[in-house]
Amino acid sequence: MSTRRSRLWVLAVAFALVIGACSGTGSEGTTVPDTSGGTETTDSPSPDTTAPPAEPVTVRAAITGDEDTINPYTYISGFPGWNLLMMQYDSIMQIDSDGIPQPWLADSVTANADLTEWVLEIKEGVAWHDGEALTADDVKFSYDYFIEWATGRFSRDLRGVESITVDGNTVTIGLGAPNPAFDQVALADVPIIPQHVWQDIENPGDIAFEIATNVGSGPFKLVDYTPDQSYRFEANSDYFLGASPVDELVVVVFADDAGANAAIRSGEVDVIFERISPEQIELLDAQDPLDISQGPEFTTQMVNFDVTKAPFDDVAVRQAMDLAIDGQDLVDTVFLGAATVGSPGWVHPGKTVYNPDVTPVFDPDAANALLDEAGYADTDGDGIREFADGPMSFELIVNSSDSLRLRLAELVAEMLGNVGIEATVASVETATWEEAVWPGFDINNGRNYDLAMWGWSAPVQANTIRIAQLVHGDPGVGFLNLTGFDNEEINTLSAQLQVEADSAVAADIIGDIQALMAENLPFIMLAYPDGAYVYNSDVYADWEFIAGQGIVNKLSLLPASARP
Amino acid sequence: MSAAEQSIPTTRRRRRVSVADRLGLTGLIIVVLLVVMAVFAPWIAPYDPTERVGTPFQPPSAAHWLGTNDVGQDLFSELVFGSRVSLTVGVVAALVALLIGTSVGVLAGYYPKRLGAILMRTVDVVLILPFLPLLIVLAAYLGRSLINTIVVIGVLIWAGPARIIRSQVLSLRSREYVLASQTMGAPDRWAIMRHVLPRTALLATGTFVRAVSGAILLEAALSFLGLGDPIQKSWGSILFWAQSRGAFLTPAWKWWVLPPGIMILLASLGFALIAFAMEERINPRL
Repeated sequence: MSTRRSRLWVLAVAFALVIGACSGTGSEGTTVPDTSGGTETTDSPSPDTTAPPAEPVTVRAAITGDEDTINPYTYISGFPGWNLLMMQYDSIMQIDSDGIPQPWLADSVTANADLTEWVLEIKEGVAWHDGEALTADDVKFSYDYFIEWATGRFSRDLRGVESITVDGNTVTIGLGAPNPAFDQVALADVPIIPQHVWQDIENPGDIAFEIATNVGSGPFKLVDYTPDQSYRFEANSDYFLGASPVDELVVVVFADDAGANAAIRSGEVDVIFERISPEQIELLDAQDPLDISQGPEFTTQMVNFDVTKAPFDDVAVRQAMDLAIDGQDLVDTVFLGAATVGSPGWVHPGKTVYNPDVTPVFDPDAANALLDEAGYADTDGDGIREFADGPMSFELIVNSSDSLRLRLAELVAEMLGNVGIEATVASVETATWEEAVWPGFDINNGRNYDLAMWGWSAPVQANTIRIAQLVHGDPGVGFLNLTGFDNEEINTLSAQLQVEADSAVAADIIGDIQALMAENLPFIMLAYPDGAYVYNSDVYADWEFIAGQGIVNKLSLLPASARP
Repeated sequence: MSAAEQSIPTTRRRRRVSVADRLGLTGLIIVVLLVVMAVFAPWIAPYDPTERVGTPFQPPSAAHWLGTNDVGQDLFSELVFGSRVSLTVGVVAALVALLIGTSVGVLAGYYPKRLGAILMRTVDVVLILPFLPLLIVLAAYLGRSLINTIVVIGVLIWAGPARIIRSQVLSLRSREYVLASQTMGAPDRWAIMRHVLPRTALLATGTFVRAVSGAILLEAALSFLGLGDPIQKSWGSILFWAQSRGAFLTPAWKWWVLPPGIMILLASLGFALIAFAMEERINPRL
């Protein structure tokens, strides 16, 4: 009898739990009408919002995913990891709000006529966080150090550096070949690290966080880190361009963007250092005191195929796939319009070097005709065309952590289905996906996929001169060429571009490359999503949107007078 | 205990049974309705759930009873077709669990000494393992597909049924007819097939129905966490997309989150009620 009663109890408790869970979601949802009404009744103002100006300003930012100890050898992601790194460190140049590099730790940066020698006049009076002066020797040391102890990004930036000499405050960098993008790619990207802290350190990749090694010159210094939870940065009151109006920057690590969104709605954080998804823009903007900063960015969404393998080695197949995909539909459906349709020539239409003759074309009839003509017929009548090795049926792999990209994959598969190419979406762990598309982050390891969704972060697009890295057939030059693409004409032009000193000529070459890419399709461009960021304007409102890169940057947290 | 059992007046006993029966009948009706929905999904659903039939993020309307999801697929159609995945995973995973559970239970019960001890310690280990974390690790390791979801759930929920069946077999193996057949030289295999298995079948059915209920909840949990196959239309994956596209924080929770939640509750409850009624009848009384 007692067992029977206890069974009833279990049932009742289970039922109550389920009901409880449902009403839990319910009450969360019901706060929405209040907030969209414009008046803020649900949130009690946090202490920061009511504080008089004299009180210290604390900005609490949300990120999704831990960034380890944020020194040049440990930070994890290109965004926002590198951006947080650069809150602590400075580079010789700094990107301004138009995306143009300006001298930062230097009074002037000049290059000789053929762009093989760069002369930096290092600023005087800049101090490290520990009070030591930042000198020209530190600059030379930093570049030498990054070349000696390879880090993926900074060592790549400094490729081609052959000599670095110091004379007083002057640093002269000699390059093996002309590099017109050296300012943007290296000088504005590589952090300068203090020689007196790093000179005895070997194998810097293995260093754990210590205050001692995390000495920079930037407007903030990292004072506390709890893995997977939070970071605390304090403003550097002696910053050479004036102390930040924000005294303390607390970065909170969230598991996903839903958590971060909930936190900013409830006032637990003041800004989200990740792009918010399109459907959230209107909702969050409607809530006071939240505001949205929005603009075009140079991140990309694309489809990669293994060009070395049949049938993707046939340009007709690639062209047909490109014609079959309706970029505008993707932008409208997945991004709710908050994106630019991908140009088949890779370059964002908002950039000055964009070739206006290269435009996305959607024409499934032409795609079908092209495939018919090239001999890919559906011989067995199952709706899927056949090629030499069997039906044109492929796995389209995508990382499950990015829900927008997952949706893009679904729609791409649907569109390819319309022209008789079957793509089955396989959603896998991020590590599995990276290992298939870019094994070991080294293209010499080859590729293990047929079709894959892919995307590059903004810096890859930011400087178009880097296009050779993306499409050149030689792995040494085209080290981001993930699809195995190799086209003689593009190889020649993109190699020429890397050493072209005349910017007008360079622009012409970039235009020609775009046209060639649109014709030969090393990959299929889908869209350039807009960046949209949400912040609490009562706490801090002076965010600077750098074209193509968003608000997570040093300029956002500097006094207006210090921004170039 | 057994004395107290006997002293219950017959009228009271009958009433109690009929409450269980009524609950069981309710469960049966729910389950039958869900099965009908799953089988006749293409006729019930107004649209193909994989097709984009409207603008994204639409609230409910005459054309779309539950609105549309983040890419403009009809949510009501997704819900109807979702019953197929949820019920399939529930039933097949429970079958897997039953198969493992019955085999282990019968072997451990019939050979209680060494083999039984080893098997039951294994059962203990499986029972002690932190359930949800293990499920998540397994699901992440094996990858996302319907088969993997079924296998993962199946191999994690067999331990309970194994224990229940073992205790039944333990008592069966010392019954006179089993002993008699052993005395007459019948092989163990014959005794198990002829005497033990048929008498555990009913009990196994009860535990199976209960396992279905649990498996449906687990499938929903896995899919919601994004560890199922997000492309499969299941109730859990509807919730996954609702979560990843922010519907929990917008008015859309009423038509995007609540309905699949209710369906999961109904399916799980339906099977649980049937199991409850069955156990009232078939569980051996001491």
